[in-house]
Amino acid sequence: MTDVISASGVNEKPRGLGRRLWDLLGARPELFTLTLVIATSIVVIIANPDFLQMSNLVDILRASVVRGLFAMGVLVVLAAGGIDVSFTAIAALVMYALTMLVIDVAPGMPIAVILVIAAAGGALLGALNGFIVHRLNAPSLIVTIGTQYVYRSFLLTFVGTALFMNIPAAMDRLGRASLYTHISASGVASSLPATVLVLAVAAIVTWFLLERTLMGRAIFAVGGNPLIAERLGINLFTVRVFVFAYAGLLAGIAGVVHVASNRLANPFDLAGMELEIIAAVVLGGARITGGSGTVVGTLLGVLLITLVSNVLIFVGIPSTLQLFIVGLFILIAGTIFTLRNRG
Amino acid sequence: MHAVTPTGPAPTAPFLEIRNVRESFGGVRALKDVSLTIEAGKIYHLMGANGCGKSTLIKILSGAQTADEGEILIDGKPTGRVAGDLGAIGALGAGIETVYQDLSLLPNLSVAENVAFTEQLVASAGHLARRLDLATLYATARRALADVHLPTDRGFLNRRTDTLPLATRQLVAIARAIASEARLVIMDEPTTSLTRQEVDNLIRVVARLQERGVSVLFVTHKLDECKQIGGRAVIMRDGVKVTELDVSEHSKAEFSHWMTGREISETRYRTDPKLGDVLLEVQGLAKGSAFTGVDFSVRRGEIVGITGLLDSGRNELALALAGVSPASSGVIRLVGKTIAPQSASEAIAEGIGYVPEDRLTEGLFLEKPIQDNITLPVLDRLKNAFGLISSGKARRTAEDSVRDLQIVAPDVSAPVQSLSGGNQQRVLIGRWLTINPRLLILHGPTVGVDVGSKDTIFRIIQRLADGGMSVVIISDDLPELLQNCDRILVMRQGRIIADRSAVDLGEDDIYRAMAGRTEDNQ
Repeated sequence: MTDVISASGVNEKPRGLGRRLWDLLGARPELFTLTLVIATSIVVIIANPDFLQMSNLVDILRASVVRGLFAMGVLVVLAAGGIDVSFTAIAALVMYALTMLVIDVAPGMPIAVILVIAAAGGALLGALNGFIVHRLNAPSLIVTIGTQYVYRSFLLTFVGTALFMNIPAAMDRLGRASLYTHISASGVASSLPATVLVLAVAAIVTWFLLERTLMGRAIFAVGGNPLIAERLGINLFTVRVFVFAYAGLLAGIAGVVHVASNRLANPFDLAGMELEIIAAVVLGGARITGGSGTVVGTLLGVLLITLVSNVLIFVGIPSTLQLFIVGLFILIAGTIFTLRNRG
Repeated sequence: MHAVTPTGPAPTAPFLEIRNVRESFGGVRALKDVSLTIEAGKIYHLMGANGCGKSTLIKILSGAQTADEGEILIDGKPTGRVAGDLGAIGALGAGIETVYQDLSLLPNLSVAENVAFTEQLVASAGHLARRLDLATLYATARRALADVHLPTDRGFLNRRTDTLPLATRQLVAIARAIASEARLVIMDEPTTSLTRQEVDNLIRVVARLQERGVSVLFVTHKLDECKQIGGRAVIMRDGVKVTELDVSEHSKAEFSHWMTGREISETRYRTDPKLGDVLLEVQGLAKGSAFTGVDFSVRRGEIVGITGLLDSGRNELALALAGVSPASSGVIRLVGKTIAPQSASEAIAEGIGYVPEDRLTEGLFLEKPIQDNITLPVLDRLKNAFGLISSGKARRTAEDSVRDLQIVAPDVSAPVQSLSGGNQQRVLIGRWLTINPRLLILHGPTVGVDVGSKDTIFRIIQRLADGGMSVVIISDDLPELLQNCDRILVMRQGRIIADRSAVDLGEDDIYRAMAGRTEDNQ
């Protein structure tokens, strides 16, 4: 008798191909992101076959590292039902203050120590976000807009506004380190930067955190329904402080990677990237309302945004039109994901 | 596995004892010295009218709330300084699993995670810096799902829980209780939205739980189901455990009497009604599966009560009349004119005022002043020569309402959240009176309101009806309806199954019709 329920409600009825694809999209929204990435690439290749050069591909990877690090943090915050727009300010504050510290105090500091300090500083500033969000029970968007302004103003007022053109030696080495150098037939050398490894490690750690730890399940649980999560014994304070601290930690590391790649510490950098990163994470299938999202989808979302902003210029699309295309992608993805969730 | 492991308990100690629990909120005493013993492998039905304290008792049992006084003993050992001290994790660890009406399932997580995640969370005592053991997760989920006869294939285990039908979600919630080796499963009105067949299946699952020595505590209104399941009934009223008796040895009429308690000698507020011609006529009104074929009429100056269980369609009917959630077919006529309100503002334009049941989330802006709350629907009338809201006019309107409805407040600029429940409710009624409605729909007008305030609200309702206003009260507070109404309509399964004069009606009659006693639905 109990089989009645499983037969009528649980087992899938046979469906057409379109319907199955639609269902697949619901379960794996990142497939849609992948489709957009492939479609964009095909359009670019048809318009300009030279795109398929190693130097271009390396450029895309290089440009994805800082975005990708930010996006991993945003993914974790979004999964827990929050939103963070302060991470660029955290990154800018950490990278500039740390560069200054290393130059002034310990010019010989090894890169591992620099990265650890950056991570700790970023995590601390991020944890403050989480603490305020939980204590005030305030919308995280408002809280992080507030802390973004505070961190940025603190940086420009009390830390400094002058550019550092000569960055510490350890950071410089990180930026120049290359995993693989390719010399094309025409003699152009393109090297795969070692900073890609930082993103790879961050992605693997984030994946492990989200998919293989109790914290990961707790993050999704809180993103799904905080009241029920609390009822099941999940400590909301721990989860909230953790996700914002994690986003801050990655932002701190991203700041150092940014300085290393550009060989320049500019306190005015990174500001204004927040929406682009959030858009990339949402394009990767995470819901802005929380409780979902994957590392692979987020990486694809970052790739898509980077592709559009860095590569379309090669095929003669003016940079002013790039935003139009990004906007269009977001609208299409948003519509499809919303319709799928309703259906 | 359990945080509290029975290490050689006294052989006589029952599984769980609640001793002398007291709890008050503000000035309201929700529980007055309640004691209850739960034996292993027994089934209990916690019954009582709304506001009798049963939800509070459950929250304390499940660690969601701490009591003011009293203690909970498990296997004869106290579980903390005061009842409820265990907290959510502690209660789960002690084997107390609560299946609330919303089932406490996380919509975005998979079936396997919902079933088996708590086991790992309890094992880690709530610490999150632990590895998720996927093999154990799936193994536990499979075992528990098999116990409730749900599929155990990977596809089902990985399915998002919000894609499942309600009855299946409920079994998933029970599977979670099995997975965390619960010793007591509390189910809050589990059968409210289930079909007959699904209820039968649930009852079989409960019987299997019982065979394994698990105790089950139902919170329920449905006497038929209690009879079918058997066990002991614990009846509460006004924060007191009135009695505890064996379900099979007593008639349903006795239960109704224990639950409603008060003798029907309570004063009837409705005296000498002056009824006019027909104001509201409803014919064949239907909306999806919520209600269908609803016919009734209300005359000027008449007070009509509508009651029924939570799933009877009464709430949906109220929302349809108020335009909040329009009906899909049928006719509503107001003074002979056919209307089809598609939104609350259209209903307001026709002179229909609707006071929602949940004043905190649906009605009042708690942090706003009384004045703003009352004048909300009539802002148009308060404009001055410049088209701006005249604060003087608004203030006078609000002050009229406060005086008229005897709202106890220091000032009309006081925020509504500073008032007591009864006064908040009067602010809400005051708001709708500003539009001079022809028809006032009151949804649970005295939910969470103390006895004194109830009296005031009842007198206001009577005065309004005497002034020619038609009033529809939707409520499950039967004495309230009997004291105030001319007629009472009883709904069940989306239909009106009784339309009686309130004068010669008793609570037991209504209760039996509501719960679906066979003689009444022929």
